[in-house]
Amino acid sequence: MTPSRVPASYQPLRQFKNRVATGLITAGGIAVLLAILAIGVFLFWETLPLLALDKTFAFDKLSPLVWGTLKAALAAMLFALPIALGAAMYSALFMSARLRSRIKPTLEMMEAMPGVVVGFIAGLVLAPWVERNLASTLVLLVWLPISAGLAGVLWHMASSHWHRRLPFSWAGLWLVPWLVGMVALAVWLTPLLEQLFLGGDLRRWLEQRWGMDYATRNALIVGIAMGFAVIPSIYSLAEDALADVPLSMMEGAQALGASRWQALWKVALPAAGPGIFSAVMIGMGRAVGETMIVLMASGNTALLSASPFEGMRSMASAIAIELPEASPGGFTYHHLILAALVLFLFTFLVNTLAEAVRLRMRRRYHKAGHY
Amino acid sequence: MSRLFAAAPRHRLDKLWPWLCAASVALSLLMLSALLTLLLVRGLGHFWPATLEEITLRSGSVVAGQAIRETPLPQEAGVERLYFKGNRDVDGVSWHWVDIDDITSRTTPHDLIRLERAPWGSFIGRLAAVETDQQSLHGHEAWDYLNNALTLPANQRPPGQLLLVTAQGETLRQPLDSVSQALAPNAMSWWQKTHTWGTNVWQFLSEGPRAANTSGGVWPAIFGTVLMVILMSVIVTPFGVLAAIYLNEIAHQNRLTRLVRIGVRNLAGVPSIVYGVFGLGVFVYGIGGTLDSWFFSDTLPSPTFGTGGLLWASLTLALLTLPVVIVATEEGLARIPDAQREGAVALGATRLEMLTRIVLPMATPAMLTGVILAIARAAGEVAPLMLVGVAKLAPQMPVDGEFPYVHLERKFMHLGYHLFDTAFHGEDVQAAMPLVYATALLLVVIILVLNLTAIFLRHYFRRQRGSEC
Amino acid sequence: MKCMGLSSGKKNRLRFTLATVLMLFASAAWGQPQPVSGTLSAIGSDTMAGLILRWGEALAVRYPEINLQFQATGSASVPPALTAGTARLGPMSRPMNDQERQAFIDRYGYPPLELRVARDALILVVHRHNPLRAITRQQADAIFSTGQACGAEKPIRRWSELAATREWPYGNIALHGRNLASGTYGLFQTEVLCDGQFRPDISEHPGSSAVVAAVGESPNAMGYAGYNHLTPMVHALRLVTAEGEEIAPSEQAVQRNEYPLSRDLYLYVNLPPGELLPAAEQAFLAFILSEEGQQIARAAGFVPLPDDELTNQQRW
Repeated sequence: MTPSRVPASYQPLRQFKNRVATGLITAGGIAVLLAILAIGVFLFWETLPLLALDKTFAFDKLSPLVWGTLKAALAAMLFALPIALGAAMYSALFMSARLRSRIKPTLEMMEAMPGVVVGFIAGLVLAPWVERNLASTLVLLVWLPISAGLAGVLWHMASSHWHRRLPFSWAGLWLVPWLVGMVALAVWLTPLLEQLFLGGDLRRWLEQRWGMDYATRNALIVGIAMGFAVIPSIYSLAEDALADVPLSMMEGAQALGASRWQALWKVALPAAGPGIFSAVMIGMGRAVGETMIVLMASGNTALLSASPFEGMRSMASAIAIELPEASPGGFTYHHLILAALVLFLFTFLVNTLAEAVRLRMRRRYHKAGHY
Repeated sequence: MSRLFAAAPRHRLDKLWPWLCAASVALSLLMLSALLTLLLVRGLGHFWPATLEEITLRSGSVVAGQAIRETPLPQEAGVERLYFKGNRDVDGVSWHWVDIDDITSRTTPHDLIRLERAPWGSFIGRLAAVETDQQSLHGHEAWDYLNNALTLPANQRPPGQLLLVTAQGETLRQPLDSVSQALAPNAMSWWQKTHTWGTNVWQFLSEGPRAANTSGGVWPAIFGTVLMVILMSVIVTPFGVLAAIYLNEIAHQNRLTRLVRIGVRNLAGVPSIVYGVFGLGVFVYGIGGTLDSWFFSDTLPSPTFGTGGLLWASLTLALLTLPVVIVATEEGLARIPDAQREGAVALGATRLEMLTRIVLPMATPAMLTGVILAIARAAGEVAPLMLVGVAKLAPQMPVDGEFPYVHLERKFMHLGYHLFDTAFHGEDVQAAMPLVYATALLLVVIILVLNLTAIFLRHYFRRQRGSEC
Repeated sequence: MKCMGLSSGKKNRLRFTLATVLMLFASAAWGQPQPVSGTLSAIGSDTMAGLILRWGEALAVRYPEINLQFQATGSASVPPALTAGTARLGPMSRPMNDQERQAFIDRYGYPPLELRVARDALILVVHRHNPLRAITRQQADAIFSTGQACGAEKPIRRWSELAATREWPYGNIALHGRNLASGTYGLFQTEVLCDGQFRPDISEHPGSSAVVAAVGESPNAMGYAGYNHLTPMVHALRLVTAEGEEIAPSEQAVQRNEYPLSRDLYLYVNLPPGELLPAAEQAFLAFILSEEGQQIARAAGFVPLPDDELTNQQRW
């Protein structure tokens, strides 16, 4: 790509300027790359004093944080993965091109929603609402997928007149009011059901039957809020991967008698597998490092509990709260920097994995001549 | 392949799965629009002059205030309503929960007024009289006099005091110069309310916070956010572009370069808080502390650069967004056909000339997109700033008339942090909630506009180049 | 071909770089504050944030050239900040402990100036509909701690253990509190837990108002916060003294130190002995210890110092 030979110039000044500029760019470029490298070096350097201390102590303090981080990330992925991947499959393979050109940027814009706004809504609006309507929330998690299926059944039963007016390729849009109706229905009906079967109060039932505690700010809330935040990045990358699968492969499968869904499931998904995997990894990396949402919506309880109704404290939020107060050089300071190092290494590894897989896939298609 | 599909029976559920996928899209859209609607309604609704109610309770007491929200009673059937009644100086609290069943009458009298005053906040009640040195005015005259006086700045108003009566009948005197706004919302026409709404929105955008961030505007936060972002882009653009050019045009393309490239790409995924930790440890404690001991030892122990500040925050965010700019610029550079470069060199251009005259102009759109994406990311980041220099309240702007005009060492306010702070650290969350919504809305709008610009630019330049290059 | 036409901005980029470098130098050379620049920089208690800011606002009305920068990061950040020199004024919601004071003395050779500036109290809050009205300190310890250092026999986990006769609220007590850095956390630990350990399942909120908001939304929650954060969403529990007397955290009870969890709010200043403070700092201190400053403390939800104490403090 770089021309290997620069032709001899007859103007020494130009040549000189060229050399100086090249040198400057090289120096600048290397300096920038070194600065980036310095992050890792700094984090390593600052955790070294911990080695002098009793090792188990640092790890004892770190383990609830690591657990909290993973729990929060896991909750977020449980919520985000089905939605993001489902949305990616629909918009890559079923959605009308016109709608897709509008929806995709819209959903990608979701990614830019600042964490502090999402966290604020989750902590101060969603959490109290869920606490008051816990049963409705849980019912919604089950009811929404069922209602989507219901919409499908109704649509297939409807006449072709309706099929033309509400085509499936636009379903992503016209299902929105349907879902709103279904949410309203569930929120209205659930208290009645709760009255009938659970003696009017799910939380009391949970407490008495299973001894389950309920904290206002818990993994459920964090999962929903952070799930909301990572959906767009997973969606966008997975959608790209699916859309990159050569059309001829899908068409071939369908020509051989597969339904569109079978073609998607047996052909497109395996082909886009590495891309989807890297999308999931990148989403995971985001969920692990997200600070403000966990800080505002998790209750910051340093607990080692697996209950979805209990809070957690993540490494990122512990750093954000405690580091400004930690005096440089003290134990807390080094300990928090260790947490930062763990975060750094974890996300770096996850992203490298994702990137490597993505590059390999790219090369594979490149060979097949499709990319 | 054919056997594979022939063997697989067409399952009935095959028709339903796509619907679940479609519902995922719909659900994402639903969540997004619900969030935006919530922000819009609550954020903008706060500025609308709310109706003041006067309610009589079964016990006989009278409460005047603004109805805020209703919640079901936790134990028995029924609903309670929260009223904002102001008048904290009278009875120590400014809120009142009322069981709806206790209300015997509910009216909206036209003579109820709402005053904003320092330091006690809102007053809701009636204006009995205005007493000045010469005269004592009542009724409409008093109201008109008050409104005239309010058009003047506080220190130029004629001396005088207001005689106020609360709904319960207590009287209090309020100096004229401590009042900042007076409204009689029940008597206002729709048009007047719209006008007041506009004024309030403008005040929110253009004024500084008052009463420990529980009222007033967010102008310093807007200014701080924008200034920090500008500084950041000034820092990140040259360095990001430099690194990208080096990686793509000058460095030998070998295994190492590929590794570095992957590394840079991955840094975009490293959590922002890690950059904050780096900024605090290296910029603030390391470089800042050293600068202080070299140049500002006379002001120690008060630190100058050894504490979080605008410069360090911008540098930290620049580092954070560096990968974004590098990756975007590199993509732009890689898209340029080698033939262009070879042509230039064949015509006798040096590498510098080739870069500045051919390559960079062609990569400009990509750089621009990268910078705008970097800005959009930086504007929404709060976590690293909490470590490197954002302040709860910094009335002293980082830019002023004092030499050297831009004070890079000062702390600054930031919209995102302001939001976090008012929502979690304020005195009275209930009172601050509407402002939090408004701030959140503002932040989201700013970021959406930046992102839209990036998308538009990318689209525009791609199409332009696609047709002509 | 138009793509080639875009080449105009090339020189600007070089200028950008140059400008950045220049600005870095410039700020280093000129950024030095003027002798009387009137900037107060304070780091400290989150509890006192509202108070400090209101004082700053009121002071700015009187002296428009005085500005206050305040970072509310918690009381625990004051000693390191004063010692490291990142701030000169350190509002704290608890007194410095010996270790912190010693660290300061080791660095500067003199102790920091300690001023009492207002009074506050720790309150225990429950949901506004919660029927619980009063609590003993031992019970509070049994609820919030793991070891019951204050002598309670067993931990209290459930509402039924607090008041067996009541049917509601039921289940476990959901606990809310502050995070490690806050003075409220430290004070609660010394005063209520008798220096014991907090339970691990307390939700640690980054601010007192977040504690109160969380308790106000959940009928089976209990939390602790500063007196000034009391909102109508919650009600404050009365404390039962050793004599069996129930004392509500009222302004009078706090001012007279009758409410057991009353506390002083402090302002620490790095002042070398024998030297004068800069004018801005001096004006600030004089203002907050004036009658008007104390009224502002009241408006911010705190309790003014009693008169004798005030005159005492003014003599610094």
